[in-house]
Amino acid sequence: MTNILIILFGLTMLHVFSTTRIEAYIKTLTLQGFLLFLMILLEIKKLLLINFIYLGIETLIFKTIIIPIFLFNVVRKNEIKREVEPYISHLYSLIIASLIFVFGFVISLWLLKIENEIKHLYFGISISMIISGLFLIITRKKIITHILCYMMIENGIFLLSLSIAKEMPLLVNLGILLDIFVGIYLFLLFFNKIQTAYDQDHIDVLTGLKD
Amino acid sequence: MTIETLLIIPIILSIIMIIFRFKIINRICIIINAILFIVAPVLYYFNKEFIKPFNWLLKYFSIDALSFLFFSVMAVVNFGISFYTIFYFKSKDYSNKHDTLFSVLYLLFLICMTGVILSSHLAITWIFIEATTLTGTLLIYLEKEKSSLEAAWKYIFISSIGVSFAYVGIILLSMGNKSGDSLFFVNLYKNAANFTPLWLKLSFAFILVGFGTKVGLAPVHAWLPDAHSEASSPISALFSGTLLNAALIGILKFYKIMINAQMESYAKILLLSMGFLSLLVSAVFVLKVKNYKRMLAYSSIENMGIIVIGIGLGSTGFFASLYHLTAHSLSKSSMFLTTGNIYHHYHSKKINEVKGLLSTDKISGWIWIFSFIAISGFPPFPAFMSKFMLIETFFKKGLSSLAVPFFLFLIIILFGMGKTVFLMSAGSGNAVKNKNLNIFAYIPQVFYLALLLIIGTVLPDFIKKIIQSAADFF
Repeated sequence: MTNILIILFGLTMLHVFSTTRIEAYIKTLTLQGFLLFLMILLEIKKLLLINFIYLGIETLIFKTIIIPIFLFNVVRKNEIKREVEPYISHLYSLIIASLIFVFGFVISLWLLKIENEIKHLYFGISISMIISGLFLIITRKKIITHILCYMMIENGIFLLSLSIAKEMPLLVNLGILLDIFVGIYLFLLFFNKIQTAYDQDHIDVLTGLKD
Repeated sequence: MTIETLLIIPIILSIIMIIFRFKIINRICIIINAILFIVAPVLYYFNKEFIKPFNWLLKYFSIDALSFLFFSVMAVVNFGISFYTIFYFKSKDYSNKHDTLFSVLYLLFLICMTGVILSSHLAITWIFIEATTLTGTLLIYLEKEKSSLEAAWKYIFISSIGVSFAYVGIILLSMGNKSGDSLFFVNLYKNAANFTPLWLKLSFAFILVGFGTKVGLAPVHAWLPDAHSEASSPISALFSGTLLNAALIGILKFYKIMINAQMESYAKILLLSMGFLSLLVSAVFVLKVKNYKRMLAYSSIENMGIIVIGIGLGSTGFFASLYHLTAHSLSKSSMFLTTGNIYHHYHSKKINEVKGLLSTDKISGWIWIFSFIAISGFPPFPAFMSKFMLIETFFKKGLSSLAVPFFLFLIIILFGMGKTVFLMSAGSGNAVKNKNLNIFAYIPQVFYLALLLIIGTVLPDFIKKIIQSAADFF
């Protein structure tokens, strides 16, 4: 069951590669948050109660509800509809995405040979998600897409951290959550500032500083 | 006194500032904080019981020889900058609200760096490094210009992605950590030999890239010149003198795990290659920059490269590196603070619009030249000794082939910076005389330079002991 969820999780990433609508990105992000929540529900027996509550709050409240609402507000307020023509067309992006996924699995199977204790599905999908998030940041032009891809990288890392059975102390976890949340908040704050200062939300406007 | 006091008192001071929202109160609070930060390590030096870890927070913070050196350097740099802010705010004439915001963020930023330096847990180090990104971004943006907006965005975005890579590194480390389950550095050092080598190697690479982004090592240095050039000069000085060090301590503490696991040969290759790449990048760019603050930023990349190379070399390289780190922090802060004076006179950051600094403002001009001499490693300043020791270490380790490019890069950077500094200082002044620089625009730099002279010529025993025991940490 968990495996199906993880594969679904990977598929959401492919969906991002094939679409240009910003709202679809945010919906994908919401879906990813919810999938992570379901994975945690399935693991409930292995978790301490306090950690379960923390992880549940992080995935369900933050990743699935609060952050997407934040993002929707910003996108609607600024009337952003679509990603502009990316640097690499969608067909090629999809091909590259599949290659990234193949690469992720090759890496995790190779690691499995050396180290037979890793959960290769978790590992493969999360590595692919992190790399494809970086790839999307490089090829897409809108700043809001960059923020969304950063969130996807964070989701990938979250999946990776689920694959290890060890838990960090609650205090540490709370600190990490606070950092990420404040980070997203500041991203959106600066996004709004850039939007008002430049009247555009391309990264092309941010080329004033160079040598 | 417990370590937490060092974190809590700045918070109390911030709250006082928020309540009063009055400029003079802000200045007083920042000075009080600076004095606290100076006094604490001094008292700790004489009485090791003075700062003790407290059971509260499960000993997430502790102080050892390495963090003591870093904390002392931060305290000294911060001491100068705190006094410089008296001049800076007077010249800027911010509103009370803006002034308070700046001061509160300044203290929060300091708290975050203190947290990084004193943390005894890998994940806590990560949390505070990410927190320096968040508070630092707001500090860069306080000038509220378009260019500072761009710099702030690049800083927060690049650093956040870099730091999330470091988090992947932490996860990979936990995967390889079979026996122990905690991420306290003490336990990690103890268990280092039991780690799975593969995961440890991968983990070090991720940590190096992640925290290296904050240190400003090439090729992940992209944010550094922008942020340093667009922030106000006290903040640039704080960034260069303390933030880069604070991120570096994360790498150093992790490097100790690699040593204990006897995998330092692998780690050395990574450190040396990133160090040399940093030297290359700054040698290329320092020749073509048109903005003097960006030039200093590239020089910071260079010096961080030198420090990392020294760590990579090992043995006497450790002492040389930490000695160089002290020298760099003080002299670079002095240079960045002086750029504040220059900007005050000329209202431009472009090199070719600044001429005749010596005739416009004699003291700033001489400080500018002497700080340059200090940073580029002429005797009797300490950077000379540290670079000399590093080259010696190259030969001792049988890596003399690497000493050649190292020396070449240093010469190129010296030429690039020297040309700019003297072009700016010499000639007849083209600025309108602007006489209202008060004494606090000069005192901090003179304080740094005097300290550098003392370290470079006499090298008092207690300073040598502090650096030596920090070098023995490895």
